[in-house]
Amino acid sequence: MRQVGVIVWKDLLLELRTRERFAAMGSFAVLAGVLFNFSIDASLVRPQDVAAGLIWMTIVFDGLLGLGRTFHLEGEDGAFQGVLMSPAPKDAIFLGKAISNFVLLYAVALLVLGVFMLFFGLEIGSSPLALLLALGLGVLGFVALATLFAAVSSGTRMGETMLPILVFPLLVPMVIYGAGATGRLLAGRPVAEVAGNLRVLAAFALVALAAGAGLFRFVVED
Amino acid sequence: MHRLHQLVRGILTALLLAVSSSALAAQATSTNAIGGLRAYWHVFIAYAVVIVIVLGWVISIARRLKDVEQRLSE
Amino acid sequence: MSITGVRRVGTFLAVVGLLGLGVVYWLSFFWVSTEASQGIVQRIFYVHPPAAWTAFFAFGIAALTSGMYLWLRDERLDWAALSAAEGGMVFGTIMLITGPLWGRIAWGTYWTWEPRLTLTLLLWFIFLGYFMVRRSTENPEQGKRFSAVVAIVGALLIPFIHLSVVWFRSLHPEPVVVRPDGPLLPGDMLTLLLTSLAVFLVLFLGLFMLRYTLEGIRADLQVRARRAAA
Repeated sequence: MRQVGVIVWKDLLLELRTRERFAAMGSFAVLAGVLFNFSIDASLVRPQDVAAGLIWMTIVFDGLLGLGRTFHLEGEDGAFQGVLMSPAPKDAIFLGKAISNFVLLYAVALLVLGVFMLFFGLEIGSSPLALLLALGLGVLGFVALATLFAAVSSGTRMGETMLPILVFPLLVPMVIYGAGATGRLLAGRPVAEVAGNLRVLAAFALVALAAGAGLFRFVVED
Repeated sequence: MHRLHQLVRGILTALLLAVSSSALAAQATSTNAIGGLRAYWHVFIAYAVVIVIVLGWVISIARRLKDVEQRLSE
Repeated sequence: MSITGVRRVGTFLAVVGLLGLGVVYWLSFFWVSTEASQGIVQRIFYVHPPAAWTAFFAFGIAALTSGMYLWLRDERLDWAALSAAEGGMVFGTIMLITGPLWGRIAWGTYWTWEPRLTLTLLLWFIFLGYFMVRRSTENPEQGKRFSAVVAIVGALLIPFIHLSVVWFRSLHPEPVVVRPDGPLLPGDMLTLLLTSLAVFLVLFLGLFMLRYTLEGIRADLQVRARRAAA
């Protein structure tokens, strides 16, 4: 447990100091909002109707952008070997990476939500709390898968370009349930309607984290 | 040698397919005519696709096997 | 079973499978009755679901043997996973092509996000990733491990993917899918369907074993090459 904390702390501290990834991902969020706005013909489609889906896709693309390099920093000067040789169990390393990625991407997701609410004229809807929960659970599952496969893709010649191919098919449940819940909440539907979605998102996140923690050791062994 | 047999078998199946679908088209009744001529096309293409893809895999494996055995005997 | 044994059985099964395919084709055109509501296009039913079930079976074997490979590190399990994955792609491709061909006539559109079609499409891409990852590592051993991880995660998430697609579909009523068999599947159609399924499975198993043989011989080649270099 302590080792997980150490890794999380180290990564977040690094991020806080450089703000590199957050700056890139944050800018992407805003600019994606701008482009999406221009890509919709408001005379044919009500922007509010498609906003939920676009929010989630923006988060997905933004996540790929920022998480693909999860192991890049360490790989560069061989520091990753150092991390691996430490007595920390591999699943702790994975969880540490996943949690720090989650903090980063969740912050970005909130930014995306805010940006889209502004640009698309959205109301906060029936339950801000449920909305935040839906985002959180979806992002958690996504981060678990992306962290595992970032390690995989870093080890290939194609690098981060492989990440979308590996991760997209697995994101179908997250997008369906996440965007579904978000759309309903933003439209003012009662929370009871999305409770099922939230439960599945939670289960999905759990399975993804467990799979990541369990399989990470096979990815990083030499 | 056995590869040749498989090839011949495959070609015979393909021929059978071609003959039978034209025979079928000739027996068009009112039930069969749903979807029109297009339906026959789709059925023909579907059945042809199965053969082509399956035989494709067969030939691919056979070719790679021959290759590897050749290299082994060197 | 030794490699030669596997090869012999595989060849036998493959030949039986191909002959069986010919028989199924003959039965499909000359013996089985035409379905009343869909007409001639319904005959694609005799190749489409068997291809689908064979693909799912193949992908399942690939995922299972991948998991066992990571656990036991027996090369032969990796050969099996690779062979099964290849078979899954083959039969999956057949399913993905015959489905829209059928759908265009029977339901009016090529693609309707029907749960089984969608699942097969996604599995197809997951295993495309399996092959891409395998081939793009510097170290082939690493490639085998990476692809095993891809297969396992894919298999673990299949239930979620299926659930979500079914739920998604339930919100968007599509044109009612005409059952390929009417209220009950008539005897001769059921017989042909089951025969076709058996033939597809036998064909897959035979070719799977031959593909496995290929990997075995390749490994043998590598061992000899290494010995010669030493």
